[in-house]
Amino acid sequence: MATLDLLSINKSFGAAKVLHDISLAIEDKEFVVFVGPSGCGKSTLLRIIAGLEETTSGQIMIDGKDVSDAHPVDRGISMVFQSYALYPHLTVYENIAFPLRVQKMPQPEMDAAVNRAAEILQLTDKLQLKPGQLSGGQRQRVAIGRSIVRNPKVFLFDEPLSNLDAALRGDMRVELSQLHRSLEATMVYVTHDQVEAMTMADRIVVLNAGRVEQFGTPMELYHHPKTKFVASFIGQPNMNLLPAKVLGSDAKSLKVELDGGHQMVVPVEAGLVSKGDNVEVGIRPEHVSLGDSGLSVTVNVLERLGGVSITYGAVGNGTRFCASLPGDAAIREGTPVTLAVNPDDCHVFDANGDVLSRQAAPELAG
Amino acid sequence: MMDRYTKLQMAGIYFAVTIFLIFILLPFFEMFMASLRPLEHLFRSPYQFWSDDFSFQAYSDMWETVPLLGRYIWNSVYIATMVTLLTMIFIIPAAYAYARLDFPFKNASLAIFLGVNMFTGAVLLIPLYRVLRTMGLLNTYWAMIVPGVAFLIPTGIWLLRSYLEKIPRELEEAAYVDGASRMYTLRRVVLPLAVPGLIVVGVAVFIGAYAQQFLFAITFNQQRELQPLPAGLFEFIGYQDVTWNQMMAAALTGILPVMVIFLFLQKFLVAGLTAGAVKE
Repeated sequence: MATLDLLSINKSFGAAKVLHDISLAIEDKEFVVFVGPSGCGKSTLLRIIAGLEETTSGQIMIDGKDVSDAHPVDRGISMVFQSYALYPHLTVYENIAFPLRVQKMPQPEMDAAVNRAAEILQLTDKLQLKPGQLSGGQRQRVAIGRSIVRNPKVFLFDEPLSNLDAALRGDMRVELSQLHRSLEATMVYVTHDQVEAMTMADRIVVLNAGRVEQFGTPMELYHHPKTKFVASFIGQPNMNLLPAKVLGSDAKSLKVELDGGHQMVVPVEAGLVSKGDNVEVGIRPEHVSLGDSGLSVTVNVLERLGGVSITYGAVGNGTRFCASLPGDAAIREGTPVTLAVNPDDCHVFDANGDVLSRQAAPELAG
Repeated sequence: MMDRYTKLQMAGIYFAVTIFLIFILLPFFEMFMASLRPLEHLFRSPYQFWSDDFSFQAYSDMWETVPLLGRYIWNSVYIATMVTLLTMIFIIPAAYAYARLDFPFKNASLAIFLGVNMFTGAVLLIPLYRVLRTMGLLNTYWAMIVPGVAFLIPTGIWLLRSYLEKIPRELEEAAYVDGASRMYTLRRVVLPLAVPGLIVVGVAVFIGAYAQQFLFAITFNQQRELQPLPAGLFEFIGYQDVTWNQMMAAALTGILPVMVIFLFLQKFLVAGLTAGAVKE
């Protein structure tokens, strides 16, 4: 039951400025994911919310109260660390009970609280074991148990799944989403994995070099990325970015010639872009299909995943191009294919990497 | 296997180990041999390594030659134990502070600690004597304990600090986020995980305390009842002759309890180092 507001957060380590004027308003019960490449400042931002790092300037408000100088417990946050940070010499019970022992909670209440957490996380029969006797996923659950046991207002997760293998990570994603729903808590989750971000988040914050690139719902980021960075970061496989030249424009569309000679009219607002300018056209791999006319691509590598086939190839002057085609598409490595592109699915970025507003993109529900 | 050696390499390794062990252990062996033979045999010429009339006579005679021998052995262990306990009380918070906190002159003061180690107690004996006299500690146990503690703190801080630095910082951050104070975290999280390191440092301090007490004992203490074993051994040097065999027997008896403790601790140490890995 808490809102979390960040007001103009700045952070420098010595001369290095790692966070630039970050302002976010996170709503009650929202699951917000901070995503970005390594070194973008996402973990630092989380540690600032936790109270493990001080801001250089700016304010942190939880439930409308300024907690910038408060201790983590007084902020009402709890945190799950990347390495789980379990105490190896204590049993699962003691690990989960640790925050309550610090509060000097009476034993019967503590038993009840620990058992309730253990029940939620299916750890009831593991309470007397040491962390060393548990599997990776179980350890992860113990770490989560320790964070839920004292009913914080805001949960913070610092790349909690990065130490798990791929299959377990998928399971834990589902468990975390369920946990979020059953606890009805505000959660902030840091990851560098855009799949985790897309699957779990109510809203995603894309960070790059200490700045917020975009803050929005997963589908908003997918269909309406504001910058080239967001466009290429969200979506799997990554969006293709083809250099193009503007041939002409009107109010609702832009005529471009792609690298390789293919011409098309993309329904975007031209804005300040005019004839002769260089732009980049973004085409998602899943938005192309085999056709008679369109982009001519030489397929270098073909990955057949069953349901889909991913091809990696090159267009024009060697610009890399990836396409996601039906599983049994009749293609072979080393041969050219023609890929049809619907201009309505394309994104256009100006020389600064900012998007030109799309006219044909799907309307977003809520 | 990465660490497989050829036969020749193994032979070389064992040869080197043998040389090293002989160098270390031969004095103990000679002590033992000397303690077994009658005094007159020790001065025979040519020197006989093996004699026929070995006996443990010296081990019973020594208690009569030096009636306070038991007391001396006890004093040695008592002083070394007290020094170790007191030193640890000072070392633990200091090492933790050096490992985790930031404060002015941190590196400078750490370097000074190391610098102090370069002075042996001998250089400072006279000023120390004056200090102890002013404080009225001469001829008490404290005269041997206080300087012992002072000289062992620097090494201990250096040893323990590097051990504490290896404990993952995230564990302490987790405790901090859950509301634990520094001292609570130190007591409940850091120290339990540092047990192997504490034993290593404790053992090193104990050895140091045991070895250095001789100098402090003969300078700062005149009271026979308080003397530790190394000083007490002097009583085997009589006006007429030196009962070497009894002196060797007493020396061996004196270090025996310590050696037993160490054999026991060594097992503990290996077990402690491998158990409770933090994460893979």
